[in-house]
Amino acid sequence: MKDTPLSNCERDFLLKAIEEKKRLDGRQTYDYRKIKITFGSDYGCCFVDLGQTRVMAQVSCELVTPKESRPNEGIMFFNLELSPMASPAFEQGRQSELSVKLNRQLERCLRNSKCIDTESLCVVSGEKVWQIRVDVHTLNNDGNLMDAASVAAISALCHFRRPDVGIQGEEVTVYSPEERDPIPLSIYHMPISVSLAFFQQGTYLLVDPCEREERVMDGLLMIAMNKHREICSIQSSGGIMLLKEQVMRCSKIASVKVSEITDLINKALLNDKTARKAGGRCGFAESIPQERITALKTDQTSVEMTGVGETVSSIVQTAEAPPQKVPSPLLPVPGVGQVGEGMRNTWGVEEEEDGDSSGGDSGEEAVKMEEEQHKEDKSRKVDVVEILDSEEEEEEEEVVILYPETTEKAKNKGSSSGQKGAATSRKQQKK
Amino acid sequence: MMEVSPSENVSLREFGCEQTLLSRPDGSASFVQGDTSVMAGVYGPAEVKVSKEIYDRATLEVLVYPKVGLPGVRERSQEQCVRETCEASLLLSLHPRSSLTLILQVLHDAGSLLSCCLNAACMALMDAGLSMSCLFCGVTCAISTEGEIITDPTAAQEKESRALMTFAIDSKEHRVMMSSTRGSFSVQELQQCIAISQKASEKIFQFYRDSVRRRYSKNL
Amino acid sequence: MIFSYNLPLYIYIIITSALVNLGLFLFQKENCRPDGRELFEFRTTTLNIGSISTADGSALVKLGNTTIICGIKAELANPTTDAPDKGYIVPNVDLPPLCSSRFRPGPPGEQAQAASQFIADVIESSDLIKTEDLCIERGKLCWVLYCDIMCLDYDGNILDACIIALLAALKNTQLPEVAVNKETCLPEVDFEKRQRLRIHRHPVGASFCVFDDSILIVDPTAEEESLSTAHLTVVTDEEGRLCSVHKPGGTPLSGEKLQECINRATARQREIHKLINKVLDSVKTAQ
Repeated sequence: MKDTPLSNCERDFLLKAIEEKKRLDGRQTYDYRKIKITFGSDYGCCFVDLGQTRVMAQVSCELVTPKESRPNEGIMFFNLELSPMASPAFEQGRQSELSVKLNRQLERCLRNSKCIDTESLCVVSGEKVWQIRVDVHTLNNDGNLMDAASVAAISALCHFRRPDVGIQGEEVTVYSPEERDPIPLSIYHMPISVSLAFFQQGTYLLVDPCEREERVMDGLLMIAMNKHREICSIQSSGGIMLLKEQVMRCSKIASVKVSEITDLINKALLNDKTARKAGGRCGFAESIPQERITALKTDQTSVEMTGVGETVSSIVQTAEAPPQKVPSPLLPVPGVGQVGEGMRNTWGVEEEEDGDSSGGDSGEEAVKMEEEQHKEDKSRKVDVVEILDSEEEEEEEEVVILYPETTEKAKNKGSSSGQKGAATSRKQQKK
Repeated sequence: MMEVSPSENVSLREFGCEQTLLSRPDGSASFVQGDTSVMAGVYGPAEVKVSKEIYDRATLEVLVYPKVGLPGVRERSQEQCVRETCEASLLLSLHPRSSLTLILQVLHDAGSLLSCCLNAACMALMDAGLSMSCLFCGVTCAISTEGEIITDPTAAQEKESRALMTFAIDSKEHRVMMSSTRGSFSVQELQQCIAISQKASEKIFQFYRDSVRRRYSKNL
Repeated sequence: MIFSYNLPLYIYIIITSALVNLGLFLFQKENCRPDGRELFEFRTTTLNIGSISTADGSALVKLGNTTIICGIKAELANPTTDAPDKGYIVPNVDLPPLCSSRFRPGPPGEQAQAASQFIADVIESSDLIKTEDLCIERGKLCWVLYCDIMCLDYDGNILDACIIALLAALKNTQLPEVAVNKETCLPEVDFEKRQRLRIHRHPVGASFCVFDDSILIVDPTAEEESLSTAHLTVVTDEEGRLCSVHKPGGTPLSGEKLQECINRATARQREIHKLINKVLDSVKTAQ
């Protein structure tokens, strides 16, 4: 699928508006869109809405053997998928440049910043450690996927609970959530990425670009920071050249935004915790807005069962019963069997020929011959077994009936058996 | 042959749906059955690659993304079931040499996943405005070890069941469009589950009608 | 049939669409099919067991022109942590470009993957082999059976043929004896002593094709499959229980038609079960 290209008048309009410090949706230069964070019903599932950009993150864990270079540390694995649902430009399967860039940035932001204590994930040193896997799925792309993905990933990691383990000597038992309460991950700090878009060779700057603004931007600066004003990663792409003051100014803007977003995440986590403690239902199902005209919900309904029994018995009884007698299979050679009448010969040229015969390359058991078959077979006449060499098949015009004695000699010569019944009937049809 | 009696409380969990919740796809819907939720997005009719184009009808592609991990063999067989059901109900000959892409994202799996996918797919296709000859809905039945038939089972019920069946029922004549089963069962049980699914599908089709009526209740 | 894109492709498709009308006309009027069969007649089924000597078990099935070969290899492995007393079976269906021009070289396409999933479901649903039988030592050692099913000639109805091939190959499989040496904790395999696998059930499939929800035919060829509007595969075992009713979409089918298909599938199961048993007996007496 191809994405609709951006027209020149749209491009000019956007750039002109940015020069006048106006944005399409009416935001200010440093404003973020509305961020909404909801959690799913199982631990480690988080939905983030950044304006219209929607992203879902899911954290899961598994016991694996650790890397040889780091036997005491757990493993973190990140996977950001650009789903074709998010945008028609994203294609399934192929790892586009954008996907590689976002994955790398997410890894740098979360793994290299050491925000999670990986040593606490070790169960048996050198043998079993926890592998934490974070899957981020993009649902709708309206610009600034990176920020949404980083917020979703870190919220999901904070929300996640891993199962408790008990170690007794060599045995490792993993307790299910019913037996023992799962334990949260130990997180040192929460790095969050902030994206700043530059226009007109670095003259104008916008925070949190939407999809249209992303298409006309010259370059993007992604700063990952935590609320303690520590920069975890900076990436500048697009080839813009920035002055030192500009970068310092951007990092100040980013620190303000990051502290706001961190407060938001903490509030959302707290709400979820109280909701779970109160025993209420939580999850995506609950987050469907009731008051919207495009949404509808019903309660549990029962299904009426009148008349089901009668319908069923009538169907089963009226259908014809399967035939009791079953045809017996034909065994020309041990290891080979055949059932079914096969294609009846409608050409009627040679009455002795039958439409088919047995086949199969029985390498090990090609000992007994067709003599037994002839004695057993009462319903049919002589069955045709053609032993042909591959070259002969094309040249031969006539069908040869081979009798058992000849067959034995032919087989002893070691020639391979070619196509049987099908070849025979094909030749007959050729005539 | 075993006689199976449906339990007195054959019921469907609470379900909900939201349409047009994503801005980029041409049609989108999220369907929730109890705790199981699936989001569907439809793009189309759009340009198709020459290698995939069919001269007299649209090419439908279905993609199923699981929550954890990459799509595997199980997702491929689910894709095949959903795709052939949609192909039978959509009027594909109205859009020759075009592509229709349906993407399903599993948001939470708490039992009856395939039927939730089918319902989400049907609502998303409706939301995209694609012409269909009939609507379809998915119903899952599970047969417990005692022989009880449960509709719309939860994950725990599915795990303990002896057999699990998912049917897609069409809206015109309530016949079986798609059937996917796991576990072994007798003929009687199969026919009973089909009959129960047909009855349950009426409730789901009524829900479709209600949500569309609600949606277009305000004239702009 | 070798065809390239553009012009020849269109001609092929036009001919095919003409065949649709011809085929339906024939079906309705004459109750017969292009290859002369009745609507409910199966093609000749030929079974050959034990032809691959390097595999632990093997079978070759020919259903008319459709040829499927199945090879079983048994290996030792550690059982998974959530099922320490069970072995596992890994089926894999391969549709190489050799069997038909519709398959391109490269990773397995959707049809092959869906068929692999179907076979895995049938093995699990029918209780063909109890995976506890494959366990050698709880938590430490178990058998893994790799079942490789490859199609050599694609002429429709591969699911039926795959199931027959798999069943026959598993019945033919012989596993060597394994003993765990107490001192070294290493397994010792004795290739001389071999034991057959215990097969609990014999599931057999019957595939049907639906045309415009009025005509039902059994055992479709590739041409009939491409023209049909829906496929249905019913897998039954010897006790009359259904292991799988697989209808991946397509035009709807009523309960009565479904019942007809199930009855025919039960008859087919008996036929094939008898065939497999007879062939196996002949192999045993020959050895």
